[in-house]
Amino acid sequence: MPKRFAWDIAVDIARRDLLDLWRAKMLLFFFILMPLLLMSMFGYIYPPVPKSNPNTGSIGTAFPNLPVSIVQIDNGQYANSVAAEFIQYSTQQHLFSVTESPTYQNARNQLVEGKLKGIIVIPQGFSSALAGGQPATVQVTVDETNPTTASVVQSEISTIFNLIGANISAQNIRSMDGDHVDPQFVTQPISVTQTPLISGLSSASSFQFLAPGFMALTVITGSLQGVATAISREKEQGTMDGLLVSPIPHQSIIIGKVAAQTVRGLIQGFLILALSMLLFGVRIFGSPIIMVIVMILGTASFVGVGIIMTAVAPDQETAQMMTMLLQFPMMFISGILFPIEQLPTWLQIVGKAFPLYYAADALRKVIILNAGLMTIIPDIVILVVYTILTMTVALPLFEKAMRH
Amino acid sequence: MMGVMSLHEAELISPANPTAGPAIETRDLTKIFKTFTAVDHVNLTIHKGEIYGLLGPNGAGKSTTIRMLCTLLSPTSGFARVDGYDVTRQGSEVRKRIGLVSEKLIMYPRLTALENLMFFGKLYGIDRETLQKRSEELLEMVKLTPFRDKLVGGYSSGMRQRINVIRAILHDPDILFLDEPTTALDPQSTRFVRDLVKELRQRGHTIVLTTHVMEEADELSDRICIVDHGKVLAIDTPQALKERYDTNSLLEVFLELTGRELRDSADARISLRAPMGRM
Repeated sequence: MPKRFAWDIAVDIARRDLLDLWRAKMLLFFFILMPLLLMSMFGYIYPPVPKSNPNTGSIGTAFPNLPVSIVQIDNGQYANSVAAEFIQYSTQQHLFSVTESPTYQNARNQLVEGKLKGIIVIPQGFSSALAGGQPATVQVTVDETNPTTASVVQSEISTIFNLIGANISAQNIRSMDGDHVDPQFVTQPISVTQTPLISGLSSASSFQFLAPGFMALTVITGSLQGVATAISREKEQGTMDGLLVSPIPHQSIIIGKVAAQTVRGLIQGFLILALSMLLFGVRIFGSPIIMVIVMILGTASFVGVGIIMTAVAPDQETAQMMTMLLQFPMMFISGILFPIEQLPTWLQIVGKAFPLYYAADALRKVIILNAGLMTIIPDIVILVVYTILTMTVALPLFEKAMRH
Repeated sequence: MMGVMSLHEAELISPANPTAGPAIETRDLTKIFKTFTAVDHVNLTIHKGEIYGLLGPNGAGKSTTIRMLCTLLSPTSGFARVDGYDVTRQGSEVRKRIGLVSEKLIMYPRLTALENLMFFGKLYGIDRETLQKRSEELLEMVKLTPFRDKLVGGYSSGMRQRINVIRAILHDPDILFLDEPTTALDPQSTRFVRDLVKELRQRGHTIVLTTHVMEEADELSDRICIVDHGKVLAIDTPQALKERYDTNSLLEVFLELTGRELRDSADARISLRAPMGRM
């Protein structure tokens, strides 16, 4: 069989697969809808966190206007002004909606009923301590049934009291030493400002993190599932026999199928990117050509697994279930939906065993950080190794399964 | 019930055309799926230009035999030659010379008739122009020209089977395998497909036919081979078979040879195996 002929046939097979897909427009629509839907869901679960700026006193939050209550047991001058300042800050920055409760027990009951996320108690002796030159304490109780809001409420309350405290010390310093000392030198001798990694990317948007991951996810799972479904469907409907009784090399069938799925994956990937730019304000800083290279390598690295599955699975349904079984854990533990560092070490190792992690990592670097090919060489090498390993197993297995 | 026909007896049957070598030749062809023996030491000699009826109850091993001859399954033991080429070692040569009409439709439902023919034709390396011409001729022959640009998915079963048959002969194969070509067809389409089979024999194709319709086998076949449980039970002309059992119905011959019990248990074994076996 001449080589030229084999490639021609692969192209014919790929073209036919794409035509087939094009004619199933409903299916095509859902192929794009699915990742977009997931991305918008996860994008809003982790909304963008506006950055805090200690200098201007602005505090960002992911959970605006959480209900908290102040229980003011001390009624001295300091206690009154601190409570007023707390309410002012909270309202201005949309951190809390603050109510006042007569007793701790009363506030605690409300918290148990779920009406409050936190309680701030200004205890007896607060004012006299401050007036007498002693540090004073406020007591905080948070709703510990929800660890996420609990830690947010805790840290936001601390931040507000730090600011209030800084104001008080500034006043104290002024009253002690007139205008000779800059109060900030005492209260906050070191301040932190941020230089953005990429100018123009003012705040780290979740979508900016999610979009490259979803591109990689769509391309890789799309081709995994696509190849498995395409081959097992042809086996079931009988057309595979038509290919196998013709004098074409079997590699042409595989190459054609993989090529068609890769093209589909690239189109889907870029559609997802385009839509997330349009809908979620995602911005690209890197080269589209490098993005294509990474996506093709991503496909190649895992498509062999799809072929192995078709060789093993008796029918289309089973093949689909098998790919689903891989797809979901991959989505959650390969750093697509949230940073992999959030996972325990052993799970990170499992997550990094999937090539998806490297494809997503490379795409993220290219899209957000404008990384060149040289920077992502480690990712590329790993993807190539995966390609070689999976294909070495997949091709002979496919050959065997076809002539069972 | 008759005993299994010996190799010696099978060879004694005189070829239809003694000057030509056999189109298909098998020796002790055997296929075992795990523990189930689907084809058991089958010896066949099919001559060039004949219509060879391969008959047997469900699960007798007809389809498995045909799939081995088409290189879709590799034999467990024994060998088969198609037009002198070994199915295991010279698969590519075999595939150039055969056409297959299987029980399942080998047509993409989301492609039109013409697109399907052009796609499958290209697999045989036929150039575009010749292919276009031949496709149109064949579509005309099976009276599907008005539907050539309609998706095959919308075809009736009769139309599907007609296009399925011409797909198998696009590359003008010497040997054609027809696996139950008239199953589930209406009488008009059945007649048409049968006449088409005769027409193809006239043109010099060797045809291996399986069917459950005895009257069809009787009408079309030059010779008939009855198999059951993977073994050959009888090979002869329809006339000779009927004379041997002193009846004018091939169905009686068939039942005499294969028994009258229903094959439900045997079927269950086959369908359990089928998904893997058909891969």
